[in-house]
Amino acid sequence: MNDIEQQWLKRLLKGDEEAFAALYRARHGAICRFALHMTGRMEVAEDVTQETFLALALHGGRYDPSRGTVTAFLYGIARNLVLKRIEKERPEDSAVAEFASDEDVLEDLTRRESIDEVRRAVLSLPATYREAVVLCDLGGASYEDAALALGCPVGAVRSRLSRARAMLARKLAPRCLVI
Amino acid sequence: MNQDVVDEALRALRRADAGIEAGPEAEIRALLAFRRYRRRRASQRIGIMIASAAAVVALAFFYRPIRETPRAALAQAPVETAAPPVAASEPRPELKHVAEKRPREIATDFFPLLESQPPTERAMLVRVTVPAATMRAFGLPVGDQYLSDPVQADLLVGQDDLARAIRFVSVRE
Repeated sequence: MNDIEQQWLKRLLKGDEEAFAALYRARHGAICRFALHMTGRMEVAEDVTQETFLALALHGGRYDPSRGTVTAFLYGIARNLVLKRIEKERPEDSAVAEFASDEDVLEDLTRRESIDEVRRAVLSLPATYREAVVLCDLGGASYEDAALALGCPVGAVRSRLSRARAMLARKLAPRCLVI
Repeated sequence: MNQDVVDEALRALRRADAGIEAGPEAEIRALLAFRRYRRRRASQRIGIMIASAAAVVALAFFYRPIRETPRAALAQAPVETAAPPVAASEPRPELKHVAEKRPREIATDFFPLLESQPPTERAMLVRVTVPAATMRAFGLPVGDQYLSDPVQADLLVGQDDLARAIRFVSVRE
């Protein structure tokens, strides 16, 4: 898949609209979900998705195939855009406070068969840990791709992921005891 | 807390959101933005190519390093005035006269010629003559009737003989 994506990227950088559309259709879902899980807002996720692919057209020449996949490069662009949005809007502040006051999160999850509370729990994580969970657990990215997207060593991805899961476990703990 | 429960919760969230993607409007907006970017880049490239080609052609025909210009003018001045030889310690009024009549130059800012600038260790300024149409390629206003008129320009040439930037010069006597 990455070979095809690299070919699309090469053509895209030469101004090929078909290659742009092909890469967009192949990867916009993953980027959109990443932005949604990071920000919790669909309109922001759509904006970030569009800006990510346009930024790829502008700065795709910096992509180095030896360092990782095109998808990881896209995640890296999306991550920078998301962090700028988070810094500007800080939506997680309210999410953290709201979640912290709810002690029956997982019970509601089980009873209503809803995952909304888990989404809120993820959103309540600090951005550093949230992005590791969103990329690896929710996005299915490999540790190597996540490391490239996050600009850190693979070991740091593992430790952030471990810490993030522990934080999620604490947030969901009251309900777990009931189960 | 059992980590399996956390893993299961995350898997459930992943499954539930698997179908989420940006709407078709977002794709249309992205494509339109890409087309705008492509058009802008194409017009920039055409302008740079025209200017570079004109500059290179002009450079080949009108190469004349700037630093030599005043020296050449000064060296030729005594010959033109046919003044008698004077001692080195005496004043040389004819040279002063030439210096005072040196043309006044007004230059534009430099316009980059390369999209990504390679490192410049040494640079040389080279005065060339180019058609006025070159100025228009950089967005400077030029009347249609003057497009073929020659104008003076300075090329900033790097150590690799690649022209980095160009500026246009108006010479007034």
